[in-house]
Amino acid sequence: MNASAKVLLRGSSLLALIVALQSTVVASVDDAQSFALQAAEPYVKEGFQVREDYWGGDLGSGEKKAVRQQLFKGNEYWFWLGTEVERAKISVHIYDSDGKLAEEPDGWEKGHFAAAHVIPKTTGSYFVIVNVEESPEERTHWALVYGFR
Amino acid sequence: MTPFTKYLKLSTIAAGGLTLCVHGAQIPQRIDIKQLSKTVEDVVVPLPNEIFGALNKLGTVNWKEHVRSDKGTNFTERPRIALLLGTVIADGFIAVQAEDAPTVKEIGQRVLALAKGIGVGNSITPHAKAIIEAADKRNWDSVRQELDRTQNSVQQAMNEVHDEKLSQLVSLGGWLRGTEVLTSVVSKHFSADGAELLHQPDLLSYFQARLQAMPEFNLPILREIGDALLQVKPLIDVGNARIPRESVKKINDITTRLGSGIVTRD
Repeated sequence: MNASAKVLLRGSSLLALIVALQSTVVASVDDAQSFALQAAEPYVKEGFQVREDYWGGDLGSGEKKAVRQQLFKGNEYWFWLGTEVERAKISVHIYDSDGKLAEEPDGWEKGHFAAAHVIPKTTGSYFVIVNVEESPEERTHWALVYGFR
Repeated sequence: MTPFTKYLKLSTIAAGGLTLCVHGAQIPQRIDIKQLSKTVEDVVVPLPNEIFGALNKLGTVNWKEHVRSDKGTNFTERPRIALLLGTVIADGFIAVQAEDAPTVKEIGQRVLALAKGIGVGNSITPHAKAIIEAADKRNWDSVRQELDRTQNSVQQAMNEVHDEKLSQLVSLGGWLRGTEVLTSVVSKHFSADGAELLHQPDLLSYFQARLQAMPEFNLPILREIGDALLQVKPLIDVGNARIPRESVKKINDITTRLGSGIVTRD
């Protein structure tokens, strides 16, 4: 192989790597959202309307994020958390505006999915705490969706 | 380590020995909210039908009397179109509650026209079509879902072209219309539980902060909304106290006036 062909090959390999890395970065929160929606799917049959809007981002292992959500007494809510990182362990929990745990005991965590259930006792702001407990990746993408009925 | 992370680690240690739940891990039973202030993401603004759903559970509501099919003024200012778009989508949710198929279809067309006026028509066309088809079949769950998708697509399209402020005005328009109807229903059939649905101080602060960050939109209606939110705040930010009938009525007067201002020219 001549020198210019080697340069071209190296250049195109580098370009392919950059494109692949970029698409991984861009796709990850969307992938995480797909997993969160997958976790929500069975609940749609039970009458939950899943919102199109969602939160997303990335966290290091052991890091947490709080999101604030207005909830209405009379409604029932599920929050579903997903990540594309298969061996990650994630969790989601809900606290009221006084910082008291407000969720029902039937929340669950399974691999790269987690869910929390809340039937608000009062109308107001609640805090949803998202946690990447363990992950083999340096940064783990996450997405949180919610549904109500 | 952020103060929040530090706190949560401490609270996890402090919460050792507390009840195990089906999550299979120990969950802190209490967290310090003050420590969260710097790490909290912005709120997701609830859809009007989240509030309407809760309202429905308190008793039968005559949704038909709240249906509005007035096409409103054709504005050229993009912030005005955005505000109006939010209220029209909220009107769509009201028409769904009333199971009024002709109005839902009109609203589907109106949403499309407004979205085109603001330059995001392409992302809305399939949703407008789906709204009309689902209304024809009287498939109300699908209409609700498509209205949510419509709002989401409009806002995503705006965010993609860095029109986040217009996107926030869509949310604000929807919230104002939802609050107008909520207060109208609760004023007519007052109950403490109904009034409690107005307890949304953080959401109101969120909108106040967003409005203050748009000085470039020098429009009388936005100044009027900003002043009105100042009046509403003490009426709904009551802590653990109940929101009285008089406050509900006052908020209804304010939001009705704003609603009229949003659909008509200054």
